[in-house]
Amino acid sequence: MTAITPQLFYRDPKAALRWPEDAFGFETSMVVTDDKGAVGHAETTWRGESISVGAPFASPELIGPARMTSPAELGGAGSQFLRLEVEGDLDAHCKRARAAGARITQAPADQFYGQRTYRALDPEGHVWTFYQPVAEVSPEVARQGAGLTIRTSLD
Amino acid sequence: MTGQTRPSFSAAIIYRDPLAALAWLEKAFGFETSMLVTGPDGAVHHSEMRYGDGLIMVGGEFDERHISPERIGGRNTHSVHVQMDAGLDAHCARARAAGASIVREPADQPYGDRVYAAIDPEGHVWSFGQTIQAMTLDEQAAATGADIRERL
Repeated sequence: MTAITPQLFYRDPKAALRWPEDAFGFETSMVVTDDKGAVGHAETTWRGESISVGAPFASPELIGPARMTSPAELGGAGSQFLRLEVEGDLDAHCKRARAAGARITQAPADQFYGQRTYRALDPEGHVWTFYQPVAEVSPEVARQGAGLTIRTSLD
Repeated sequence: MTGQTRPSFSAAIIYRDPLAALAWLEKAFGFETSMLVTGPDGAVHHSEMRYGDGLIMVGGEFDERHISPERIGGRNTHSVHVQMDAGLDAHCARARAAGASIVREPADQPYGDRVYAAIDPEGHVWSFGQTIQAMTLDEQAAATGADIRERL
């Protein structure tokens, strides 16, 4: 079993754990705090899989010249985003997120590649894209529809 | 292509040069490109890579919210952790040979994992772990001196 876990960095990790519980239906599953009560590492779970949440840091011993930070420190820029598959009603999921304060930057809409998607920003500006398969689209159809080429390897 | 299950979510990682990133991630980390969608101009619209049961997506910069660490002074708003069954040290050697900057050499951690960390050519931070000794959260807390709980 090889697992790939995204890690997201927030100025306020505790708030960042609570918020996706209300907005997206995540559940906090692990919180590691130091003797000052600061969150060093945390995990929150959705559909049986976890993401990690941490606080911004710089440490030559751990990450060399890189720095981990929140989009809130970068004018909203991010080096990654998450794509998440919703089971059930995508529009209801979006409605719940909006009610919890998510900024919906792309309302639910069917995409040519056979998915219905919406895009949300959390309070610190991390991008979350939720999707749901709505139709089987063959590579041929997608290619004709959008002028795209679809391959299953680099070769 | 190995894993056929699809995780319920995955990281989409932003690169200035996503095609070069796909080739590098194959060579350095052993990931396999499983989907590559390009436009008429050859630009990458979407791509997916698999590693065992894991899945990542690699994409280009497409607006001011999606930017390579290379353009923001090496800052990352996310990192990716890959948990492996075996072969951590050999994996690190392969990554180093492909030009990864190893910022944490493989070392056993008090919570029972052996871990290394690397930075790729555009500045994304990756960590790789392998469990050496399975420990409960209570055992990890005792070994590290941290408070570890399952709830906020």
